[in-house]
Amino acid sequence: MFQYILLEMRRTLRDAGFLIFGTGMPVMMYLIFTNIGSDDGADGWKTASMVGMAAYGALGSAMSIGTGVASDKSLGWLQQLRITPLAPSHAVVGRAVSGSVTVLPVVLTVLLAGALINGVRMAAWQWAVLVLVLWLGALPFTLLGLGNGYRLTPQGTGVVNVACLMGFGVVGGLWFPLEMLPEWLRSVGRFTPANRFADLGWATTHGHAPGATTLVVLASWLLLFGAYAVISYRRSARTV
Amino acid sequence: MSWRTAYTCLCHAALTLRNVVGMTQTRDDETAVVFTGAVKTFGRAGRRVRAVDGIDVRIGRGETVALLGRNGAGKSSTISLLLGLNEPDEGTVRVLGRSPGKAVRAGLVGAMLQEGKPIPKVTVRELVSFVASTYPRPLPVAEALVLAGVSEYADRRIDKLSGGQTQRLRFAVALAGNPELIVLDEPTAALDVEGRRAFWDSMRAYARRGNTVLFSTHYLEEADENADRIVVIDRGRIVADGSGEAIKDAAGHSQVSFDLAGRSTEGLDRLPGVVTVEVTGDRALLCTDDSDATVVELARLGLVRGLQVSRATLETAFLALTAPGRAALAKTAHTTEKETV
Repeated sequence: MFQYILLEMRRTLRDAGFLIFGTGMPVMMYLIFTNIGSDDGADGWKTASMVGMAAYGALGSAMSIGTGVASDKSLGWLQQLRITPLAPSHAVVGRAVSGSVTVLPVVLTVLLAGALINGVRMAAWQWAVLVLVLWLGALPFTLLGLGNGYRLTPQGTGVVNVACLMGFGVVGGLWFPLEMLPEWLRSVGRFTPANRFADLGWATTHGHAPGATTLVVLASWLLLFGAYAVISYRRSARTV
Repeated sequence: MSWRTAYTCLCHAALTLRNVVGMTQTRDDETAVVFTGAVKTFGRAGRRVRAVDGIDVRIGRGETVALLGRNGAGKSSTISLLLGLNEPDEGTVRVLGRSPGKAVRAGLVGAMLQEGKPIPKVTVRELVSFVASTYPRPLPVAEALVLAGVSEYADRRIDKLSGGQTQRLRFAVALAGNPELIVLDEPTAALDVEGRRAFWDSMRAYARRGNTVLFSTHYLEEADENADRIVVIDRGRIVADGSGEAIKDAAGHSQVSFDLAGRSTEGLDRLPGVVTVEVTGDRALLCTDDSDATVVELARLGLVRGLQVSRATLETAFLALTAPGRAALAKTAHTTEKETV
């Protein structure tokens, strides 16, 4: 499996255009969202939005793995992989791990923009933990992207990914605070994986551990998306 | 001469050949692949296609077998069952004494699929090394590269390879794990004449190491030149199975035709050498394995009006076997079988 992770990482890192675009978008959105309008009490918003946008970028990178997987499938590479001794679960986990490497640059870039341009200040341990939770917490979305990729065509995956991303971004409160949404949507929002994922970060910036609900909700989504990815992988190997 | 006659001749021969194969059955541990009544249907209710329609075949260890058939005959579907990519609806498939899925997981199988373009952005060596690393006892990477003939461009990116080079890389991927059984689905489809020759040289070198090779093709010559045994498949069924020589001999039957001029067909099937008899209108078509004796006897009987003797080639026999209108011919074959057996 380690060899598989290496192979996939090589492929991703050699795709410079993808890395630059995937990283650039959330940074730009962060800077725009936090620098238009009035500056009143902007400190809290600059921090919250930094976490939201880093989460949003992490989510986007994590899910974009699906597009790559879908094109692998159309090449026939997934079938070829299926007839090597590599176990289906290892193939999925290996792809997920290699995919999460692309998440790190986005998280780092948004946080750097927060610290250097928007002047966000926190304790060193908070920065370190923030990077870690935003990186590792993106795993459920990697699995969701994988599931889409194993199941759909490259175009289909692109469309579904963008839809998920927008939905998660808005309903999950990554773009704007959840308080700006109508009441009923707000309560739904709190159970989305995106909102709970970002909550890992918000809890960190407030200097405390995330609540038990957050962890339970995220773990449930992780299991659900993981099962979705494995089942989709099994199906994808069939020829018809 | 007609294709129908050629077909019935070969069909008869195939039956005989299958008996021969049955008689020489060996012990289980010398068996690489067994299909028992395997059926695979695709599509939704009402439009179901039996892509694999009751296949029984046994392949011994160390054999090189060609799966020969037209496009759409069921070759790839058969291979997908063999590799565990699909499950049969009926019947069983066993590979080296276990289910196809287990054989694949145990690293006993390597394959080159028809639609397996290798992934871009990595080099030939990187890809082959990775595939080898998933197998328990792989070939040394350098050896795999040499065997497949890709060592010259081992450090080139896969997206920069030509069609022929890509095809050989895919072969390298199939053999990298040093699998006991290697399965190649139309391996030479994208190759020119030179490329084909080089490819088959590599394939034979791999087979000589004692490995079992199964490849599919729709080129008769390729099957004949590179396999110990040819299994002809059409409409999901095996229609002939034997060595290239045996099928050639069988198809070497001659056709003798003449006008009956109102005479009875009684006793024609008992003439010397005659294998099958078919009558269309006023013309009789005899399939014979000794055309000289048949003609002499016909002359003695005075049945020589419009007499024609023609020799069936393997090509025409194969075409007849797999001709699109064959469903209608099946009936003929069946009745002929009854008459002659």
